[in-house]
Amino acid sequence: MSGPDGGVPHRRTGRRVEATAPLDLSGAGRATAEAVRFLRECQGHGLSVRWRAAGTPSYDPALLRHLPPPVELPADPGALEAWRTEHTHGVLYHRRGPDFVTVLDRRRRGTAVRLTLDHPGLLGTFLRLLEPTPVAVLDPVGREALALLTAERLVLACGGWAVTLPPRIRRWPVPCTAI
Amino acid sequence: MRVHLVTMPWHPLDLPSLQLGLLHRIVRRARPGDEVTEFHGSLRWAEFLLEHSGGRLTPGDCVEVGSDAIFHGLGDWVFSGALYDDPGWGTARLRDYAAGRGVPVGTALAMRPYAAGFVDACATEILAADPDVVGFTSTFMQNVPSLALARALKRRRPGLTVVFGGSNCDGPMGHALHRNHPFVDHVVRGEAEYAFPALLRHLAAGTDPVDVPGLCWWDGPVSRANTETRRTVAPADIPSPDYDQWQAALDASPVQEYLHPKLVVEGARGCWWGEKHHCTFCGLNGSAMAFRAKPGERLWTEIDRLVRRHRILDVVTVDNIIDMAYFRDFLPRVAASGWDLRLHYEVKSNLTPAQLRLLGDSGTVHIQPGIESLGSRVLDLMDKGVTGARNVRTLRECENHALTCSWNLLYGFPGERDDDYTPVIDQLPALVHLQPPSGAHRIQLERFSPHFTDPDLGFGKRRPAAMYQHVYDLPEDELADLVYLFDTEPAGIGGAVERRLREAVAAWRAGHADSRLLFEEDGAELLVHDRRHGRPPATHRFTGWQAAALRHLEDGRTVPALHRLLTAGGHEVPGEALETWVRRAVGRGLLFRDGATCVSLPTWGEPVRLPEGSG
Repeated sequence: MSGPDGGVPHRRTGRRVEATAPLDLSGAGRATAEAVRFLRECQGHGLSVRWRAAGTPSYDPALLRHLPPPVELPADPGALEAWRTEHTHGVLYHRRGPDFVTVLDRRRRGTAVRLTLDHPGLLGTFLRLLEPTPVAVLDPVGREALALLTAERLVLACGGWAVTLPPRIRRWPVPCTAI
Repeated sequence: MRVHLVTMPWHPLDLPSLQLGLLHRIVRRARPGDEVTEFHGSLRWAEFLLEHSGGRLTPGDCVEVGSDAIFHGLGDWVFSGALYDDPGWGTARLRDYAAGRGVPVGTALAMRPYAAGFVDACATEILAADPDVVGFTSTFMQNVPSLALARALKRRRPGLTVVFGGSNCDGPMGHALHRNHPFVDHVVRGEAEYAFPALLRHLAAGTDPVDVPGLCWWDGPVSRANTETRRTVAPADIPSPDYDQWQAALDASPVQEYLHPKLVVEGARGCWWGEKHHCTFCGLNGSAMAFRAKPGERLWTEIDRLVRRHRILDVVTVDNIIDMAYFRDFLPRVAASGWDLRLHYEVKSNLTPAQLRLLGDSGTVHIQPGIESLGSRVLDLMDKGVTGARNVRTLRECENHALTCSWNLLYGFPGERDDDYTPVIDQLPALVHLQPPSGAHRIQLERFSPHFTDPDLGFGKRRPAAMYQHVYDLPEDELADLVYLFDTEPAGIGGAVERRLREAVAAWRAGHADSRLLFEEDGAELLVHDRRHGRPPATHRFTGWQAAALRHLEDGRTVPALHRLLTAGGHEVPGEALETWVRRAVGRGLLFRDGATCVSLPTWGEPVRLPEGSG
């Protein structure tokens, strides 16, 4: 994939992307999972994205703070400022290796947690949930992995759908050592 | 035999020791019956400081003293008190030195009181393993910490054999280290692949190592230095490093949470450019310039093994220059892996855009292209084999391919003149959107460099660098053989031009973060969006021959060559009009002029830019 796609209508000019309709963050179902996937992919490809938010999250909205902030957050305009302040490129991302994935998580200020996902069940579910997926289709191994990944705040599970949160880093910033 | 391999501070905390990794394999390969253990003293030191200072002295402080202060000898000085049994040894001289140069020494001073206790603890731990041979590897500021520990070991167990090796032991340095430190039994000078197993054979047999090339050994009270060999180690005999014991040490270490571990690999030794044209200031290859590279397929096999084993995707290569064959037989393999590797490589500056793209595609996103200068005459003086225009082009392509480019701007070359710098300094504000150098630095005289070996090149008067006065308690004639860096009378530019250069580089670094100069194609028009620091925002529109000219100049050309290209492309441009247009474009900072050559400055790519150290 060379850029974001999925069900989110958008326009792309060079390295700039604009979502043409508000993205539903309510967590009521597939739309929110697709919105997360869209923003996550933009972030991973180093694209600058302009978007507006709709809906009131039924989950902890801080789960999305590693994604680029919207220009509008009608449900909670006060939180928009915090999102803008807290958002840093590369605060949460993953990288692929042979039979493992590493996750770097610097969402808690002053910490840099490095996780290596190499357990087949965990790794398989993490990768599968890069595509928004109904929780109902997961088998018991998938459900157990989902619980662990949700507890680590690496997956958003809401409204019967689940989606992986850390973008895969496709384009390193300059300097690449900054993240 | 039990062989204990030691790397002392200030080995970088986030990297395994390639030297230990190689030596481990070399001993195991030559002597399968020997027991090989490793002591990762740098990691131990970080742990010791953290624990004994109650958390005040952190791994970040080790970087400040051990890596950032290489040119001031702070890391060695921390351990000089332990080596000379005098906690206050050299402190007054260090303070004088630092005051005169504005060098911060607070962290080093805070560390010094822990050094002797640490050395003692290291000796206890190593002796508990009951080794027959303890081998130290020493590079940069590892000499004094290693000597301090070696002395403590021999004092407590005189029958132990202490061996030194590593870059600090190359050539006359190794012999000086040996003859001035009787508790060092042997010094392996040069590469260890053949010499170290040969020494171990002599130790096992109890015979004098008279036939081991380059080796220093004691013949009674006399320090003997065997003649060094010109024979270099064949790539097939260079093993793949073993990092298992490093991984175990890291996994058990409380400082692990402070570190971002990376793998270290070696594709090649020596320098293929230096074999033909030795850059006049560079002494990095020591006495072994001959370039030898592992086949790309083998290097990839080694990385594949290490990545799978250690689950680490960051890879640092130690090669002084990339083998150009790797663009065919190594980098495509890395790119095809589909893994999100991040590699660091030193490259030559005159790479093509396609080669730079391949670097980016393979995850080799951190490069060190040896740019050194943006003025062609100065680059000629250093025999660098590249022009200023070409270097500017490389910097521009790094933006296009989101490559992180580490480089220094060096000056102080004998024979350089003010007017080599003035036109470059005048144009530096136009480059503010490209990655700046780490700083403008006057070159130092390095052992093994042409500047060192040939005093007629301009550095006739030299003496061991002043910093060694607070590192070693040795007379100057011994230091002259022992050390790597020398002070000289300054050559080249000085005064106002030097000041202007340093100020212009500081302004470049300060103005870079928000500066952009971007091409955009808009139908038949070529737009240039200028958002550079120090200039009003502007969008320039070009069509016809002017747009074509800007595109042609991306490769860097003279005006007559550009004229021929435009004419061949069907553009009728009077020569005078072209000259005028080029002058104006240089004036607007859209082109960089290096002598007769002009190169376009706008970029197509816009990397995500972050402040250094924001992680």
